Amino acid sequence: MTQPLLLSVKDLGISTVQDPRTLVNQVSFDIGLGEAVGVVGESGSGKTLSALSILGLLPRGVEVVSGSVTFKDKNLLTLNNEELRKIRGNEIAMIYQDPMTALNPVMKLGKQLLEVIASHGGINESSQNQVRALLSEVGIPDVNRAMESYPHEFSGGMRQRIMIAMALLLSPQLLIADEPTTALDVTIQQQILALVSEARKKRNMSMLWITHDLGVVANLVDRLNVMYAGRIVESGTVEEIFRKPKHPYTAGLLSSLPTSTGTNRERLTSISGVPEKPWLVGNSCGFAARCSRAQARCHSEVPPTVITDNSSVACFFPLGGN
Amino acid sequence: MSLEIEDVEKLYKIVSTDTVIHALNGIDISLPAGKTLGIVGESGCGKSTLARLVTGLEAPNQGSITWKGLPIHDVNKGSFSTKKSVVQLVFQDPYSSLNPRQRIGDAISEIITVHNLVEKNMVETRVSELLSLVGLADDLKNRYPHQLSGGQRQRVSIARALAAEPSLLVLDEPVSALDVSVRAEVMNLLLDLRAKLGLTYIFISHDLAMIRYISDLVAVMYLGKIVEFGSWEQVINDPQHPYTQALIQAMPDHTVIGNPESLAKTLEGEVPDPVNLPTGCAFHLRCVKATPACAVEPQSLREISSNHLVACMEA
Repeated sequence: MTQPLLLSVKDLGISTVQDPRTLVNQVSFDIGLGEAVGVVGESGSGKTLSALSILGLLPRGVEVVSGSVTFKDKNLLTLNNEELRKIRGNEIAMIYQDPMTALNPVMKLGKQLLEVIASHGGINESSQNQVRALLSEVGIPDVNRAMESYPHEFSGGMRQRIMIAMALLLSPQLLIADEPTTALDVTIQQQILALVSEARKKRNMSMLWITHDLGVVANLVDRLNVMYAGRIVESGTVEEIFRKPKHPYTAGLLSSLPTSTGTNRERLTSISGVPEKPWLVGNSCGFAARCSRAQARCHSEVPPTVITDNSSVACFFPLGGN
Repeated sequence: MSLEIEDVEKLYKIVSTDTVIHALNGIDISLPAGKTLGIVGESGCGKSTLARLVTGLEAPNQGSITWKGLPIHDVNKGSFSTKKSVVQLVFQDPYSSLNPRQRIGDAISEIITVHNLVEKNMVETRVSELLSLVGLADDLKNRYPHQLSGGQRQRVSIARALAAEPSLLVLDEPVSALDVSVRAEVMNLLLDLRAKLGLTYIFISHDLAMIRYISDLVAVMYLGKIVEFGSWEQVINDPQHPYTQALIQAMPDHTVIGNPESLAKTLEGEVPDPVNLPTGCAFHLRCVKATPACAVEPQSLREISSNHLVACMEA
């Protein structure tokens, strides 16, 4: 990695509190300064929990059981709530799939946005203008009227723009995005992707983008981590992952996706079976039961993560050798 | 022997504001039996309303829909007594479309007994047949929906639809709610069933890649109207309407990588309010090719090449 490190997640383990069940196991990844990193995985793969744990936002009943999250020399997992609150929004901001859960439905937008600045102690006479400038940067028409409006008066796409403005207000160094475009129509999704991409470059902001859609991250991030059954099974640059996938799951996923252009309509290659629950993986590779390359040891040993240069793969029999 | 949708219009009244939503506006479709029609469009374009009309869940305000010469609404009327229901619908979300307290076997046999399709002592056999048809193990009969994965549940929904022995199946976003790695299997199952049972499909989706994969004919909808219609090759590989072109460009494509320029905006603005439809062509406010005339003259479909219809004067 060329850039200096901004965030480093090491051996993160997440589990339910009662009747402990592993949800995330030995997850490690880095985000460099100004770098955009993607995490792809299906529902239940642990991608959202991994992201939420960075800001100490895990839901009740779920806890971090091992590992560290280092953000600029601080282990975020050891901070108390007050210390974390100073980092949230200020240095690390987050946007979610459903903006209505993050916006206050009974507070006018202007007041809500100013509150973000006020809660971090920085409100002054220029704050109003700062909010206006950001709202217009994210493409909200008629900013003055928007400041006096409530969240329900906006469309889904506009609300997501507002969320992005809110996240950018305090110029965070890292933006965590948890599927913010999944609920949007494709043409609106593209507008949002373009907006985030632009805003990120302008600020040299780092980004962690979580999604289930490989197409979304193909042109948005620099590096990609593929999660399956609670583990990162492969990581590398976008180029490496899409062109030369090493893990059979990544390869299978890519070949099971139909393309939106072209004349070829060959039968899709499907992956049989369903994703394994992370806590049922035990001493095996989580993908073994669905894998065409699996052999005896895949069912009795956990494949270690093998790191080469900038990429890694957790598989005994990766494609293209090791 | 085909599905004929003629000049169909569907309005919804909003009582509280005394306004009217034009959900569907002059829809004309002719779909030969055995073919698959893909309907693509963004939320609010009317594609699910059309599904409800074709399956007879609602009646159009104007126009007619017939399947093999019989009006849909008569076909389905009385279907709960003796006649089987020839048009069936598969919903998007297999988590909410199955009764959580009903065993899988009962959920399927219910359809068979309601429509009185086989002798009582043969119902059990027929259920097993249907389960095997959709690729599910026979012992799932005694399970409840929560014990099944999303893909398995959607197979059960398909088995339930097939239990009524339909000839036309309306699939409303059948794979959108499923995990990515499971979608291909369900899509392949749909292809197999179509071949084996000679079914006609209406496949509704916002995902052009899925539409491209399964459709013979494709209709692109925008604000209650069809803006482009033709074979899948014509519509997807040679799109003529500016909206179709924008939609194709906006589709996230995993084969184009490391090209941030591809994120460049193709379409400004959002879908207008269906209560106050724009004058002229409904798309002109967002269209890159719009001329002053587009704001005045409503556009209807015209044939620009053999069986390729486009509702745009600039195409």
